[in-house]
Amino acid sequence: MNAYAPILVLGAIAAAFAVGSVVMASLTGPKRYNRAKLEAYECGIEPTPQPVGGGRFPIKYYLTAMLFIVFDIEIVFLYPWAVSFDALGIFGLVEMLLFIATVFVAYAYVWRRGGLEWD
Amino acid sequence: MSYLLSATCAVPAVGAVVTAALPAGTGEARRRTTKAVALGFSVATLGLAAAIAASFQPGGARYQLTESYSWIRSFGIDFSLGADGIGTVLALLTAVLVPLVMLAGWHDADPSAPEGTFESKRRTQGFFALILAVEAMVLVSFLATDVFVFYVFFEAMLIPMYFLIGGFGDRAGGPDSARQRSYAAVKFLLYNLLGGLVMLAAVIGLYVVASDQGLATFSLPALTDAISSGKLVIDPTAQRALFLGFFFAFAVKAPLWPLHTWLPKAMGESTAGTAVLITAVVDKVGTFAMLRFCLGLFPDASKTFAPAILVLSLIGIVYGALVAIGQKDIKRLVAYASISHFGFIIMGIFAMTSQGQSGATLYMVNHGISTAAWMLVAGFLISRRGSRLIADYGGVQKVAPVLAGTFLIGGLATLSLPGLAPFVSEFLVLVGTFTRYPVIGIIATFGIVLAALYSLMLYQRTMTGPVKASVTGMPDLKARELAVVAPLVALTVLLGVYPQPLTRMVDPAVNDTLSQIHRTDPAPAHPVAATTGGEQK
Amino acid sequence: MIATHALAAAGGNSPSIPAPHIEYGQLSPMLVVFGAALVGILAEAFLPRRLRAATQLGISLAGLVGGFVAVVVLAAQGHASTRAGLLAMGSVAIDGPALFLQGVILLTAVLAVLTYAEGRLEPRINGHRIDAFAAQAAAVPGGEQEREATREGLRTTEIYPLTLFAVGGMLLFPASNDLLTMFVALEVLSLPLYLMCAIARRRRLLSQEAAVKYFLLGAFASAFFLFGTALLYGYAGSLRLGEIADVVSGVAPVTPALAVTTQNDALLLIGLAMVSVGLLFKVGAVPFHSWTPDVYQGAPTPVTGFMAAATKTAAFGALLRLFYVAFPGIRWDWRPVMWGVAILTMVVGSILAVTQQDVKRLLAYSSIAHAGFILTGLIATDRRGVAAVLFYLLAYSFVTLGAFAVVTLVRDSKGEATHLSSWAGLGRRSPLLAAVFALFLLAFAGIPLTSGFTGKFAVFQAAAGGGAAPLVIVGVLSSAIAAFFYIRVIVLMFFSDPQPSGPAVAVPSALTATTIAFGVLVTLGLGLLPQYFLDLATKASIFIR
Repeated sequence: MNAYAPILVLGAIAAAFAVGSVVMASLTGPKRYNRAKLEAYECGIEPTPQPVGGGRFPIKYYLTAMLFIVFDIEIVFLYPWAVSFDALGIFGLVEMLLFIATVFVAYAYVWRRGGLEWD
Repeated sequence: MSYLLSATCAVPAVGAVVTAALPAGTGEARRRTTKAVALGFSVATLGLAAAIAASFQPGGARYQLTESYSWIRSFGIDFSLGADGIGTVLALLTAVLVPLVMLAGWHDADPSAPEGTFESKRRTQGFFALILAVEAMVLVSFLATDVFVFYVFFEAMLIPMYFLIGGFGDRAGGPDSARQRSYAAVKFLLYNLLGGLVMLAAVIGLYVVASDQGLATFSLPALTDAISSGKLVIDPTAQRALFLGFFFAFAVKAPLWPLHTWLPKAMGESTAGTAVLITAVVDKVGTFAMLRFCLGLFPDASKTFAPAILVLSLIGIVYGALVAIGQKDIKRLVAYASISHFGFIIMGIFAMTSQGQSGATLYMVNHGISTAAWMLVAGFLISRRGSRLIADYGGVQKVAPVLAGTFLIGGLATLSLPGLAPFVSEFLVLVGTFTRYPVIGIIATFGIVLAALYSLMLYQRTMTGPVKASVTGMPDLKARELAVVAPLVALTVLLGVYPQPLTRMVDPAVNDTLSQIHRTDPAPAHPVAATTGGEQK
Repeated sequence: MIATHALAAAGGNSPSIPAPHIEYGQLSPMLVVFGAALVGILAEAFLPRRLRAATQLGISLAGLVGGFVAVVVLAAQGHASTRAGLLAMGSVAIDGPALFLQGVILLTAVLAVLTYAEGRLEPRINGHRIDAFAAQAAAVPGGEQEREATREGLRTTEIYPLTLFAVGGMLLFPASNDLLTMFVALEVLSLPLYLMCAIARRRRLLSQEAAVKYFLLGAFASAFFLFGTALLYGYAGSLRLGEIADVVSGVAPVTPALAVTTQNDALLLIGLAMVSVGLLFKVGAVPFHSWTPDVYQGAPTPVTGFMAAATKTAAFGALLRLFYVAFPGIRWDWRPVMWGVAILTMVVGSILAVTQQDVKRLLAYSSIAHAGFILTGLIATDRRGVAAVLFYLLAYSFVTLGAFAVVTLVRDSKGEATHLSSWAGLGRRSPLLAAVFALFLLAFAGIPLTSGFTGKFAVFQAAAGGGAAPLVIVGVLSSAIAAFFYIRVIVLMFFSDPQPSGPAVAVPSALTATTIAFGVLVTLGLGLLPQYFLDLATKASIFIR
């Protein structure tokens, strides 16, 4: 059980912080409501009161996010490879080139389909 | 190895495929070709079945003309066929009845026939192909010596039968006849499918039990030999469960009271020919299988359950006859009469005496022939007037004496008039039952009285009396119809006075079955057979 | 795989990562399919629009057939039996069940792709042939852009590479020998499927709703699987199925770093339960089945057929491997639970199917019931059980594909007419098609002389032999219930009057016809002469550890 004690403490602190922040904000913050503030917060996109078919999500936001994630993951793999490049040798190089090529295929698709054009 | 048995089963199967593949068309010539081809195949089958019967040696091995082909090795399944006396006789019955059913239903699938629910362009092909398919599957069931092969065809024959019932009706249906018919077909299929699935569990159980003891096979002779010699021991609880699994399926098919309710509906709504196929051919597989599989595989359990089954069959005898008396519909009356007769057959089997079982086997044949005669003539009658109601007829014997006469013979055969075939078998069954279970035998005898009531009342109400307006001008039997009825009437009379050819074939098989279950007839010196009846071997 | 290594290395003392050894030849079925998928994406990116559909079909067929050839070659070289082994540092297994199921999945996919390419069913638009998939998947349903895309005759040809990716994942799923690889395979097969569900041309809202439901519930299931994986790692100190089995049976040494948690039975049981939830979700077993009817109904019918056949095969393969390789040691713990799941699945699937009014939903519930039947084979926990399940999956896949292919042909002006009432009298209008569908239904119902019966017989026999006789009885009774609704459809087709404005049966091109014909052939072949395939399944029924 001892091994879990730090985790429990961490969980407790996290929960206390989360609950505490919300409670503190509602107790101490000024309250000036307006229409925009009452809307649900959705990161980067319009809230969606319109009926289906009436409007569109700005799809570009998702494209940017997806591309970011793709390259982010590429870096996640490139980094440890670079660190132990010596140990992996030619095998690692070939595998990594294949991996980059694979990611490039997705990139090429996005590019050709106009995913990189903002307007 | 002879190929006679497989050829007998293959000819109608090939015939079904060929008939179904014949060019579609509504022209009279096209239809006649179709019918002729189908009839040709069924007659060829009859020839082969007769050859089986001719080459069968009554004193020889239990299973003769055996054939075996590896089918599904993983499960120990061989496609093996073999003819014993009982199977041969019933296969012959099937082969005799099918061409007659085809002739009787010659116009049942014509476009001029009542608006059918089956698609019309290939209606004729469909009807005759389905009959041949049923025949092929029934023949395999009678000749299979492998439990699995039997099961497969026992179950598969439901599908063509289902389409026959649901797709083709007679002229007499009411305004919602299509709906009634499809309801009848579904009821038939669901009852029998449920029975079959329960049996499937038992078949698997049997295999598991047998393979646990090193006998991974479905071969019936191997299993029965191992059981009767004590090499294969199924513990009593398992044996009872397996017996019930098999018996349930057969009791639905036969049908035994209280599982009979699908039969009147199915026979009432389908054509007369289909009704004959149901009651005289397909249902016989059920009673046949009780004799062959239930008794052979589970002798001890059979003995345990015999009294209960006898009581059910007795109820069936009386109930079927009583309800038949009250019927307003000719075909339903015949159906209920059949339920009563199936009670006799099952009683004969589970009385476990040689007379009882020989009688039961003969009964299957005789009931097939006499009911076919009765039902088909009824069908001819119904097709003339377009009604199944008894009340719509009266005085037919004055306008159509031949029809009335053959109808009377069918009815008299049904009530087991001495001199006609069913008498012999009914007598044997009653004697066989009486020696072991006198009380049941006595009550069952009343069934004969009731049979006289329903069959003679039917005759009297439809054929005698003043000629009803609706019946005037009714034509008598035509040549085709005579060709159907004549052989049946002849057989009824012939087997009534001279049943020896049948008994000679059946008796050895029956004695063999009885010795497998270690049952001997109660000695005549001890009329109090009830004590031996309760004894457990 | 690299990630697995990092974990494994953390347990040891070596700081450097050793170069892994990869058997490319033996992984070739997956590599070929993934390679074809990449080529497909490049084709999508660089080819002009009018060439895409035909090229994609060619690439897909080449990839899938190539993969199948690779499977056959590997099996012929003995990798299914004598030379079975572990690949890629033990994270992938190549053995009988893996190769058998990969073969089934690839064949299924070939036939499914043929139905994707069917262009004769929908009426032409401005001279363009169109298929069952949305003109432009990203366009709002009913919006202006959709109308424009439809006018121009656009097609979502991305469906082909997506299918190839899904197939690649499915190939890896039953072959994965550690939990992390299994999870990756699960995601690789699931993510394309979520998308594929969403791109029906007709009834797009229903299709998108199906995709969202599938995605949300699927994500839940994946999370369960992953959490279970973590707990099992905590229990065993390894993700390899074989090593987990060693820890379960107590022969493996305890990893020092995990000494506190290793062999904590709570971790084991909860972990196993959570991993099983993830897999049972994919096979559509009760109580994790609720997505099935909605998704089957909403997805484009060719995709439904593919999904019903191939996903189920892959997921059952993974389930088999998990239980037979990693957890045979605690079968007395999981068997009772799986009994319960199997019984519930058979009974609920059969009973709920009775009230369905839509062919696709009916087939969905039937697929649930079938999952239950297959589970009874899994519970047998012996070789016969494995062989029976393998055979059942083979039989079931082709019947399902055929049945859904038939569904695509019955159409009215609004597209496929899936409501049962519009199937009334089909037997009179189009006897051949109705007869074929009736054959498939009879096979589903397990009528003798069809593949369904042989499969059912095999699993029930294995279950009864494995001491699960009550399961067989429940199975038989629910088969009887199930038979009722199959028969109801047959009655409707043959014995009911057609509606005056009922649907018409479209005449398919050779593509769909091939799929249906193959379905019929396999259904009858495995019903009449199953010996060869039973032998194959029996030979393929040994898992490598």
